[in-house]
Amino acid sequence: MGEEEAKQAKQEEKEEKAKPKEEFRLSFDYFNESRLGIFALTICVLIAIFPGLPAFIKGIGIMIVFAWGADSVRKTARYGLGTGVPSIGVLAMGFGIIGGITGIAVASMSFGTLVVGGVEIAFGVLAGVALLALLGFVSGNLANGDKFINMKIPGLERGMTELGIAGTLAVLIEISIVVGTYDPAKVLPNVINNGLIAAIFIISAFGMLQPYNTCLGADERRARTLLMSIEIGGIASIILGIATTLTLSAVQGVPLIVLGAVVWVVFYRAYMKACMDEAYAVKGTGLIKTLGG
Amino acid sequence: MPVISLFAWMLVIAFLAFIACMFEDLESDIGSQSNPNSQIQLAPEMGYIHRYFNKAISGEGLSYALSCTISGTIAMLILLQFESVGPKAAILAIPVGAAVGSLVHMVRSSTCHVGREAAHKRFEQPIYLDVFYGHLLPIATHNFMAVICITAIAYIQCNLGILSGVTGASNPFPLPLLCLIWGLTVGAIGSSTGDIHYGTERAFQDKPFGEGRRVVYHGQICRYGDCGVRTSKDVASFCAKFGGPATGLAFGLIVLFENWRTVIGMLLGGLSIEGLANPAVAATWGIGIGVVIAIVLVILARTLEKWARNKYGPFVGE
Repeated sequence: MGEEEAKQAKQEEKEEKAKPKEEFRLSFDYFNESRLGIFALTICVLIAIFPGLPAFIKGIGIMIVFAWGADSVRKTARYGLGTGVPSIGVLAMGFGIIGGITGIAVASMSFGTLVVGGVEIAFGVLAGVALLALLGFVSGNLANGDKFINMKIPGLERGMTELGIAGTLAVLIEISIVVGTYDPAKVLPNVINNGLIAAIFIISAFGMLQPYNTCLGADERRARTLLMSIEIGGIASIILGIATTLTLSAVQGVPLIVLGAVVWVVFYRAYMKACMDEAYAVKGTGLIKTLGG
Repeated sequence: MPVISLFAWMLVIAFLAFIACMFEDLESDIGSQSNPNSQIQLAPEMGYIHRYFNKAISGEGLSYALSCTISGTIAMLILLQFESVGPKAAILAIPVGAAVGSLVHMVRSSTCHVGREAAHKRFEQPIYLDVFYGHLLPIATHNFMAVICITAIAYIQCNLGILSGVTGASNPFPLPLLCLIWGLTVGAIGSSTGDIHYGTERAFQDKPFGEGRRVVYHGQICRYGDCGVRTSKDVASFCAKFGGPATGLAFGLIVLFENWRTVIGMLLGGLSIEGLANPAVAATWGIGIGVVIAIVLVILARTLEKWARNKYGPFVGE
């Protein structure tokens, strides 16, 4: 009993120590799972339905949606899905490609896009988002339901729904960065026929799957994990910025590259610092502790 | 004549595939990615503090899909800019693309080691900075070799019609998509064939031959080398003797058989004679030869398995 009490006291001490550290990362403590979801959904839907926005604002959008997707992967995979974490991220982007193509198809119809005072509002893409929310919910239910696979993972339905929405929004925003519109006559040659869709798929999948897969462990911390998703958002911005500069225009692409570079440096540094601070010890070199002779 | 040049390009692709998969396997061994990673991850939890590099980007297939796709995208964008120069632009585009791809791979692996070791705080696993810095450059260089070969394969396949002079031989898929598919494949072969030589022959070196590993001993990896404490770099030099080339051979043979049957099918379908090409005959011959190759391989594998079982007997326990 004494030992346990001492352990508890130690843990409390640690928590107290950790609190002042987390102040500069206040955002992820305030944005808990629900708040982050609502915030990301609102902002990213707004960014997705206005394809005329400047590319660097959309760049911020993909960072937010990556953070949300990574949080959903974490939510889904936290209950012991060790090697399945990457599969969940790829599943999200599989959802995303279907939803993105559906959304663009609906937006290209006459009722899909409104033009108010010269500003294009593509309401049609929300059809893709809604379809994938439904599809994600159904697949979550199929996997978790008593009559079907019966995996009994807590919160799987919600996680799959969020993954469907986040994946679709990521694909839509990235396509609108590269093309600047949802017109299929421009989307098909500039994104699908030249293969850029492959880069969009794999980078977005990594933005969602890698943070939790990499930080997995007994002492994983949510705020630290999500720092990495924004860092991958920086890399995605740089690569999409290069593509935008060369295919669309430098006016759109160069600010996106600058934004990506700044975000990458800031968040890579913050992530590495957080890991080094929170590790058991950081040693220049040394021999290992030997157990049992 | 064009068919002979098609055959020659096929052999170039098979050779590049051999090099790519060999370096892919060695690179994954340097960071203990994929299957052996579960034991490297488990070891501190069981009290075995180690000096291995913990590179858990994702499975090998996906992480290679990432670096190869980025390489293919950058190469495609450079090729578009220098379209007027013609195929010569590839001399610039492929290495630059591969350099960017392996740079991204190195950045991703740097985040992995610190992330996983920081999550091992309660098991008292420290982050050794010499292990961290010392492994990044070998990871980047081995990855560069693999990625440049994969990008070159995808480029050759994309432009096979122009390069060999056989019209219609080019792959209809764009360069980044081919890089994604080849990246996934090379990672999958490197994971399935190469990990055995790392996992069972190096991480669990002290077990008798042919014995399974009981769950009790999970995480109990070999932490000491021939001299001193072992790091992941030592594993690469061990695997370079057999595991890496064997993995490369597996992938190279897959690519060779696959392309060989297609070319033979095209030849028998009358591709070499102008105006006489018959796609149905070509496809039938291609599929037929493929089935024959598969049957021969299954018989060979079964014979080898029977021989090994007769010679070494069943698992007898400890």
